[in-house]
Amino acid sequence: MSKIIVVIPEQCSGCRICELVCAIKHFGVNNPKKSAIRVLTTYPHPVMRMPIVCSQCKVLTCAQVCPVGALRRSNGVVQLDKETCISCYKCVGACPFGAIYVHEDCDQPIICDMCGGDPECVKKCPTGALRLIPESTLGEFKRLNNVLSYAQMKEIEFYEKGERKVIHYAEVGKEEL
Amino acid sequence: MNIKSGYFKRHLHVDLTKGTAERRALSDAFIEKYIGGRGFGAKLVWDNMKKHDFKVDPLGLESLLVIAPGPLTGAYLPSSGKISFVAISPATGLYGDSSMGGGFGVELRQTGNDILSITGRAPKLSVLFIDNSETTILPMPELEGKSCLEAEGIIKERLGTYAVHVATIGVAGENMVNFACVNADWGRNAGRTGIGAIMGSKKLKAIVVRGHNDLPTYDVNGLMAEADKAYKYMEEHKYFKMWQREGLMNVIEYANEKGILPAYNFKDSVFAKHNQINGAAMLDNFKIGNSACFSCSMCCGNICLVKNGKYTGTIIDGPEYESCAMLGPNLGIDNFAAILAAVRLCDELGVDTISTGNIIGAVIEGYEKGILSLSDLDGREITWGDEEAILELIQKIAYRQGIGDVLADGSRRIIKKWPEMDKIILQVKGLEQSAYDSRAGISMGLAYATSDIGAHHTRAWTIAKEIEEGQNWSDEDKVNTVIYHQTLRPLFDMLGVCRLPWVELGLNERHYQYFYKYVTGKEASLEELLELSNDIYDLTRLINTRLGMSRKDDSLPYKVWANPPLTGPNVGKVIDKKDFQKLVSLYYQKRGWDEDGMPPVGLERKFED
Repeated sequence: MSKIIVVIPEQCSGCRICELVCAIKHFGVNNPKKSAIRVLTTYPHPVMRMPIVCSQCKVLTCAQVCPVGALRRSNGVVQLDKETCISCYKCVGACPFGAIYVHEDCDQPIICDMCGGDPECVKKCPTGALRLIPESTLGEFKRLNNVLSYAQMKEIEFYEKGERKVIHYAEVGKEEL
Repeated sequence: MNIKSGYFKRHLHVDLTKGTAERRALSDAFIEKYIGGRGFGAKLVWDNMKKHDFKVDPLGLESLLVIAPGPLTGAYLPSSGKISFVAISPATGLYGDSSMGGGFGVELRQTGNDILSITGRAPKLSVLFIDNSETTILPMPELEGKSCLEAEGIIKERLGTYAVHVATIGVAGENMVNFACVNADWGRNAGRTGIGAIMGSKKLKAIVVRGHNDLPTYDVNGLMAEADKAYKYMEEHKYFKMWQREGLMNVIEYANEKGILPAYNFKDSVFAKHNQINGAAMLDNFKIGNSACFSCSMCCGNICLVKNGKYTGTIIDGPEYESCAMLGPNLGIDNFAAILAAVRLCDELGVDTISTGNIIGAVIEGYEKGILSLSDLDGREITWGDEEAILELIQKIAYRQGIGDVLADGSRRIIKKWPEMDKIILQVKGLEQSAYDSRAGISMGLAYATSDIGAHHTRAWTIAKEIEEGQNWSDEDKVNTVIYHQTLRPLFDMLGVCRLPWVELGLNERHYQYFYKYVTGKEASLEELLELSNDIYDLTRLINTRLGMSRKDDSLPYKVWANPPLTGPNVGKVIDKKDFQKLVSLYYQKRGWDEDGMPPVGLERKFED
């Protein structure tokens, strides 16, 4: 599977619905602390609401420090083998994003399993801050925005059937390269 | 026993004088009857008043502050992040409560408590830290004089964690300003009725909570299915996206159009420069992010930043309609950046934006009319739209300097000192009026007059309905609607959820009976729940009448009778006193209270156990 969860922090409102649905799906309880995705809020410098969830890295820092090899990638998703795991929590400290969680009631670390390919958090996010996209399209929107901002160099106004319209264009040849 | 889940059945009682924390058990009968939130609060406050023979100074040692989430707080359903703060209000001397959104309530519930109650006074300025089952009182005198936002940062640093929720008071709370509020999550406030002053009187600067318990739920899957229906309905509503974009700021435009926006201390009910301060203006130049309370898809909170001009760098979680209207048009300010600066200042100092805006508006008009002299104002002139003087006055109120010392005690003290201010200031029972002009609709007047905490719009907000219905709306319907609102809206506070999905997006209130069923396991119809909520309204009435309130207090500010709005759609409109009294009589009759507004004799027995 090549789809991954992408976080767009600018869109996040900090409502924590993602935490709740994750806990309900995996543990069957109303407890936002038992989830593999958690929203971190900072204020006021900077104002940030950032859901933190496993990025499915290609190089698994978490697996590298695991002394018993309980973390492995299968079907493109990092999986924790509950039989092998010895709950040393080395992986929690090793994850560069802090995306592995610990809860007192749970014997083992909590890590995102992508809900088998159809993540609940993405489905329930009301603001579109969480998205499931194919890996190869990463950066697509950034590129589009970049092009659009370039195209706004000039604009021309015209009327079509009495309706005012504006077209944006870039003047070729004027730019000194 | 019908209740099978939904509660921890634990009540944490903290006595700051003795420095003790005690966990008490809650009986099944108690949780079934009072549900939670405001219901728990009213009952415990009532018991405390009875214990002290109704002689409790709100800011004294014996006063009890009850902080209670509801059974639905923190559950997977729309906007379940509410928590109620209940006490005898220092502003009115009567029953008072205020609710707060954000995540504080959820975290408090996760510590395994359904109620936190606080009494006594700490020897030094302290912080109450509830870390799951451990409760400690930490003296932190170094927090004295720190703003709400700053204190939150310092506490998190001292405790070495960011993963806690902190409810703080600002300088205003420490100085016991009668409309001081409690601030959590950097901008969620329990604003009204002076709860901050009560914390100040107890020398309690902050309450810090951290919990990890599962929230007891009877049927998680049932709840999820029901909640998904509700979320889906909201998402498909035609105004849903608009709410996400503008939040409560969209009300400015509506209020201006309908002539219910306070302008120049309610002299007018429309504002000429509303274009500069409405939701569109905010979106164009100020909004930089969304902010939501726990589990809310509407995210009606905005995050705004001033990017240029003299207030550059001002950043706030807000504003919403009430703050913007009371500190903007009501004071003649048409500069949105200045409104943001004022709201931010209120957040930092920890004062209620509604009361502050109302009182400053009255001061400006009082000075204009010659009731207040220049020396009363400590030699500093203040006029409509004078941003600097207004910001300065907010500071003076919080620090109790000069005239600020009088203003800080709220409208009752102001009227005592300058009796003519009674004609200028808009208050009921000592609580300053919210930002909806009742002259546009008599039912809103009735709502303000009969609200148990004073002139506040949370209990009943019938103005929109009355405008819609127009002349054809009978007295009977008006009274019925006010009573229905006063029953349903407090029910939301008891359950620990927000009312906005119902108010603004028309989410069917029936959903809540199922939410209640899936969380507690008790089958109850909405009507049965409303009956329990109605009992609490009787209880708060009982508290108030025992404290000396009667029909004469269920009245309206002078302006509502005498000064019609100068322009706009409601020009020339006032409320007729006779019509109003007729409505009040009908209201009492429907409530089963006597002509003087007293609940029936023997009602007390209902709340004995």
